[in-house]
Amino acid sequence: MQPLLAVSRVIDAVTGFIGHHIRWLILAAVLVSTTNAIIRKLFDISSNAWLELQWYLFGALFMLAAAYVLQRNGHVRIDVVSGRLAERTRQWIDLFCHILMLLPLVLVMISLGIPFVIESYQSQEISTNAGGLIIWPSKLFILLGFFLLLFQAVSEIIKRIGFLTGALKEPEPEPTHGITPEDLGVHGGPQK
Amino acid sequence: MIEFIAHNLAPIMFLSLIAFLLLGYPVAFSLAANGLLFFWIAVELSPYSNDIRLSWPLLQTLPIRVLDVMRNDTLLAIPFFTFMGIILEKSGMAEDLLDTVGQLFGPIRGGLAYAVILVGALLAATTGVVAASVIAMGLISLPIMLRYGYDRPLATGVIAASGTLAQIIPPSLVLIVLADQLGRSVGDMYAGALIPGLILTGLYCLYVFVVSILRPAKVPALPAEVRTLGGGVMSLIVALLVGAIIAFAANYLLQDRIENGAAIWAATIAVALVYFAAVLDKLLGVGVLSRLAQQVIIVLIPPLALIFLVLGTIFLGIATPTEGGAMGATGALVLAFAKRRLDFKTMSDALEATTRLACFVMFILIGSRIFSLTFYGINGHIWVEELFTALPGGEWGFLIAVNILVFVLGCFIDFFEIAFIVIPLLAPVAVKFGIDLVWFGVILGVNMQTSFLTPPFGFALFYMRSVAPAAAWFDKVSSRTIAGVSTLQIYRGAVAFIILQCIMIVVVLLFPRLSIPDAGPAIDPSTIEIELPPLGGEGEGQPELPPLDFGQPPEINPQ
Repeated sequence: MQPLLAVSRVIDAVTGFIGHHIRWLILAAVLVSTTNAIIRKLFDISSNAWLELQWYLFGALFMLAAAYVLQRNGHVRIDVVSGRLAERTRQWIDLFCHILMLLPLVLVMISLGIPFVIESYQSQEISTNAGGLIIWPSKLFILLGFFLLLFQAVSEIIKRIGFLTGALKEPEPEPTHGITPEDLGVHGGPQK
Repeated sequence: MIEFIAHNLAPIMFLSLIAFLLLGYPVAFSLAANGLLFFWIAVELSPYSNDIRLSWPLLQTLPIRVLDVMRNDTLLAIPFFTFMGIILEKSGMAEDLLDTVGQLFGPIRGGLAYAVILVGALLAATTGVVAASVIAMGLISLPIMLRYGYDRPLATGVIAASGTLAQIIPPSLVLIVLADQLGRSVGDMYAGALIPGLILTGLYCLYVFVVSILRPAKVPALPAEVRTLGGGVMSLIVALLVGAIIAFAANYLLQDRIENGAAIWAATIAVALVYFAAVLDKLLGVGVLSRLAQQVIIVLIPPLALIFLVLGTIFLGIATPTEGGAMGATGALVLAFAKRRLDFKTMSDALEATTRLACFVMFILIGSRIFSLTFYGINGHIWVEELFTALPGGEWGFLIAVNILVFVLGCFIDFFEIAFIVIPLLAPVAVKFGIDLVWFGVILGVNMQTSFLTPPFGFALFYMRSVAPAAAWFDKVSSRTIAGVSTLQIYRGAVAFIILQCIMIVVVLLFPRLSIPDAGPAIDPSTIEIELPPLGGEGEGQPELPPLDFGQPPEINPQ
């Protein structure tokens, strides 16, 4: 078990590293979009490349952050029923669903995504908007995103097994649902 | 047996989706996995049923569907408004507003409650994040309300409900998602929701007013010693009058020179002048204005400017909602920086929270697109349509059934899931009945707002719980121990506002004019659109796609 847990730790470190830095793409998108709007209004010029850059940045963000969000347990769950189950039962459910739902999904997406990217790269496909950006990197983000998800899924499976066999002590992080009080610097109780 | 399954694949797929979701596994992956599983089943069963229009090559369209989600410029507004909301919360704008507006209304009965409602509406008009509003107001106003003897359920109810105004007053996240799912422009949706949102704010105030008449003990006025800014309301009224005169004069002068929006520019000039006058008065200590008037003007103007920056530009057609969101976020950063509330950690934390929210939302959308490929391919939309057209009462039967359905779902799941899973199924049926989709969206928006308030899974109540003191605490200001707030009190407080919410749904249902005025859409989207439509499909050898998309114009019947 220990070697597997070591693998899981390496994956988690890589995912965490990416998650830690990828977030700045939002700031970049905010600034690009603001500049686009102002320049268009003031000088009446607009560039499709810069407009496309907005969604390029955001697309890269959410595709590459998906694995990190999985690691942080940030993908929303419907916990009407599962909230009443014991911790171990939930871990079993997660383990089965990681293997039976997530793994097939990412494998299908990766197998479809590889030819999707290669074709686009070979034809040097360019956006149909005048002066638009080249397309294959955006497709590559999709593929990379699902690759990262694949690795993270493996890591999560190892951790769930580790937890259920007792080899791993720390439990899964608490599920987060959108913006939490902690995000706003609140930790319960009256502050003033 | 196989024939039976093949002919009823759509209901079976839908029921199994519910089962998948109830497992408590992430919604995004459950949706996608369900879609893939039934894709496989459907292809295997396709010889048995004419309803199944799926074959293996169609699976290759999945990456394109993901790319379409990525290219969606509209949804880009979600991270922008989220980021803006968090930064604003951290900039302490809510604190300043509550403090000042509270002092302004403090002398009257129910004054703090009015302040909470108005600040809730102001925060709602700058951002679309319910959590930020509820938490900020809960932290600042609740202790004061408890200290001066407000009824506990009323205090928590009014804070939670006012926080949810962020859901319906533009620029709200749910309206962006609804616009995307219903295939309408976000600008139209915003214009449609504006008046209902303001009426709802009025309803909340009316409720507090009624309580202050019938049960004055529940909403006491603040004692004089708390009002550190002193009186001087007269001075404020004079300042406002002067501002109004300037606005009228500017409007008169500008009318002939500016084609559209002269009134808005005039108002901007007036507001700016009054603001600078107040700042000068404060800096030089001239004392033309009372301290209260000074403070109210100085605190209120920056959020109003932000509202103009975001909503004004969107309604005038100067900016798309996405750009409005970006400018709002930049404005919030500038504001926070000017107040020295912005450091590296604040920024990084805000970006992290935004990343998590944006990522899970976009992945639910990706999941729902994978689900929809199969669901539409087995004529699931026709099954849903038949289900609803079979209801008695035609259009009204449908609207009532949908509202009950969304209300009940809202008790258990939140609006992102409803918007991405349920709404796309309902939209084509609404079109069949000839229902205006903007109006439909606004009704659903008000309805989904209640999902934040309904126990036990209402998120506004969760946030309220996390900031309300659960145990008794010693209050230094009044030097006495104040009892905590129980969860039951929080739940009880929400009830009155849920009823108000339902009244509002009925009002919008009965008066469609509130959201779709005859004048037509406030902005003509063609004036903002710059991108050229994509030419044909991408790549070659893609199989012909029937209109499977959730977002596609639903009037095309694939039969």
